[in-house]
Amino acid sequence: MKSVFPEISDISVERLLAEITDEPVGGRLTVGDDRVRDFLIAFSRRLLKPDLARRHPELGSLGFFLRKGELARAVERLADGVAGQRRAPRGLVLHFPPANVDTIFVYSWALSALAGNHNIVRVSARAAGAAQTVLEALNDVLADAHPAIAQTQRMITYDRDDATTGALIAACDLRVLWGGDHSVNELRKHPIRPLARDLAFPDRSSFAAISVAGWQASSPEQRVAAVDGFANDLYWFDQAACSSPRDLFWVGAAEDVGQARVEFDELLSDVVARRGWGVDPAMAVEKYVATYGLAATGAATKISFTGNAVANVSLAGLDDLQRHWLGAGTICHVTVASLAELAPAIQRKDQTLSQYGFTMSDLDDFVTTLAGRGIDRIVPFGQALTFAGTWDGFNLLHEFTRIITIQA
Amino acid sequence: MSVFTLPQPDREAQLLPRLVELTEQHRVRGAAYANILAATGHQPGRDYAKVSDLPWLPVRLFKTHELRSIPEDEVFKVLTSSGTTGDVSRIYLDKAAAAAQTRMLGQTLQAVLGPKRLPMLIVDTTAIIKNRRSFSARGAGVLGMITFGRDHVWALDEDSKPDLEAVRGFLAKHGDKPFLVFGFTFMVWLYLYELARDNDLDLSNGILVHSGGWKKLVDQQVDNAEFRRAFQADTGLTRIHNFYGMVEQIGVVYLEGPDGNSLYCPDFADVVIRDPETWEPLPPGRPGLVEVISTLPESYPGHVLLTEDMGVINGIDDGAWPGKRFSILGRLPRAEARGCSDTFVGAS
Repeated sequence: MKSVFPEISDISVERLLAEITDEPVGGRLTVGDDRVRDFLIAFSRRLLKPDLARRHPELGSLGFFLRKGELARAVERLADGVAGQRRAPRGLVLHFPPANVDTIFVYSWALSALAGNHNIVRVSARAAGAAQTVLEALNDVLADAHPAIAQTQRMITYDRDDATTGALIAACDLRVLWGGDHSVNELRKHPIRPLARDLAFPDRSSFAAISVAGWQASSPEQRVAAVDGFANDLYWFDQAACSSPRDLFWVGAAEDVGQARVEFDELLSDVVARRGWGVDPAMAVEKYVATYGLAATGAATKISFTGNAVANVSLAGLDDLQRHWLGAGTICHVTVASLAELAPAIQRKDQTLSQYGFTMSDLDDFVTTLAGRGIDRIVPFGQALTFAGTWDGFNLLHEFTRIITIQA
Repeated sequence: MSVFTLPQPDREAQLLPRLVELTEQHRVRGAAYANILAATGHQPGRDYAKVSDLPWLPVRLFKTHELRSIPEDEVFKVLTSSGTTGDVSRIYLDKAAAAAQTRMLGQTLQAVLGPKRLPMLIVDTTAIIKNRRSFSARGAGVLGMITFGRDHVWALDEDSKPDLEAVRGFLAKHGDKPFLVFGFTFMVWLYLYELARDNDLDLSNGILVHSGGWKKLVDQQVDNAEFRRAFQADTGLTRIHNFYGMVEQIGVVYLEGPDGNSLYCPDFADVVIRDPETWEPLPPGRPGLVEVISTLPESYPGHVLLTEDMGVINGIDDGAWPGKRFSILGRLPRAEARGCSDTFVGAS
């Protein structure tokens, strides 16, 4: 296998595990360890340099996420040492990030490192674009970092090899699995140690919802901003991320929806045109195949394309919700009278509801009605793909640490 | 009687009312097709002024959905295509449709083969039709053609090695009069061309009919022009007819004319090249996606299909045969999403 951080052209599993489990220079890592913090802060500064942020805007978000103040607040929220509870790192954390979403591995690794864990991240051998830039940035900052970093934080690539995967998994205290259900199931075939834990982020599905009343009450500028945010949610990662909305719920009186949808469609076309977003012919054909297929079964009652970029599908009803990828820029519209009407259609697999025009109490009531059926996060339009320290219902820093209770 | 007779204006005038009729017929007989028409704004009785105004179906839909216009108990034959990803098209024919497709294919090929069955050299191996389990599109293609020849000889042995003795025997017996050679384009090039060149075989009385595309020959830098040139120079073979067709429009072959380098539509078929951005029909010379049109499909709604092939019209009513003449330029790549999926398998 090859270590891509720090850069070592060839390293055996045995040597990797021996080095990473050795006591670090300067003592064992602690929760919020200064050596790690200093490294993450330097890394964040590197990511926020204009040249880099211009090339990869998503790395800018990552840079913000890892600023000094953000790290401090994250550690503070762990409440280590408060009320007879201490936090300790879990030990060795092994990450299998998704192959295709370039940067998500950095978030989970960084939080795990901040928690004081030793980490091995298996990076895709196809790492390119933003992921490649991240690795370069990490290696750049490593020169001035404490030697404990290079020893305890490793990113590797290797060709598919069950023996290697098995050996890594057998050594870890926490295994973080991202990716499709199939990948998660494959990796779970390798046993973990009795005390070890799994943290899995398998396939999920996501939606968006607009309050028709909220839309009507909005100023033209607010509407433009809302659609702008929705467009980001829709097109980033070709609408194929777990958090990308597939269906859009219009929540309100059916007679008011028509007008709102017309305005929304126009604004969306404007945004797409303004940003020069388009899809290539292959993607357009993909969308025709997918949406005509929905019509064939009766799941869709109306299909209309605005150029190749936007495919608007009217679904027959809530029984026909689409959770699968239908091609970049495909919106399945459903009208419902209230969020409560939506609740029975929600499943455990459903992750993000990005919304516009609802009040905090509307959304809180919705969660009550859901009664645990599904949905892990509700965010405003434009933030569907913004990573947060609480993901898929897990507070990651909590997951990356264990609690020691103390009673005197 | 040739089926390459209709100049473009006459062809349009003949096809349009028949295609409108077919659209209505399939709407009435198939709920899935009716649903698609309804969802895309093609209501009953809508007026269509041009063939290119008719609603098309993406051809891949036959892989993902069952689209048929005949009751289940009238299904006589289900044709399947092989797909690289395991998805196959399913095309439903009743007795009449099955007979019609064979008849029309025969009439089309007569334009180059003449009215009589010719001795036939098949550039393939019997293994592909013997092993029913691995019965492939290649096998089906060969079987579909085999009825148009007689005294069949296979140019490859059961281990897929060129069988020089068999080919020599065939030529000794039939080589002095017109004979039919059939095979997939890459097979013909890889096996027959080299074999004939290296052994000075005389193919000058042959009529080669081949299909399957040039993708597998890209590395060897062989295109249609080079293929024709090399065969003529090294084997004397000049009557070469590539054709373009697909299981979703069974019975229709777009056949390369005697002038070479252009495919022609039989009288019951047509093509439209569409701009893949605006979806408007394109004039000659502008490449786009190929829409294939035919009045043959009665038992499934395949009369107007948008393929995933890129093509270009080379001219209209200005070639060896009337109508549009066109070329296939290659296949559109399959769109892939870059989402959060398949960490492990995908990365390996």
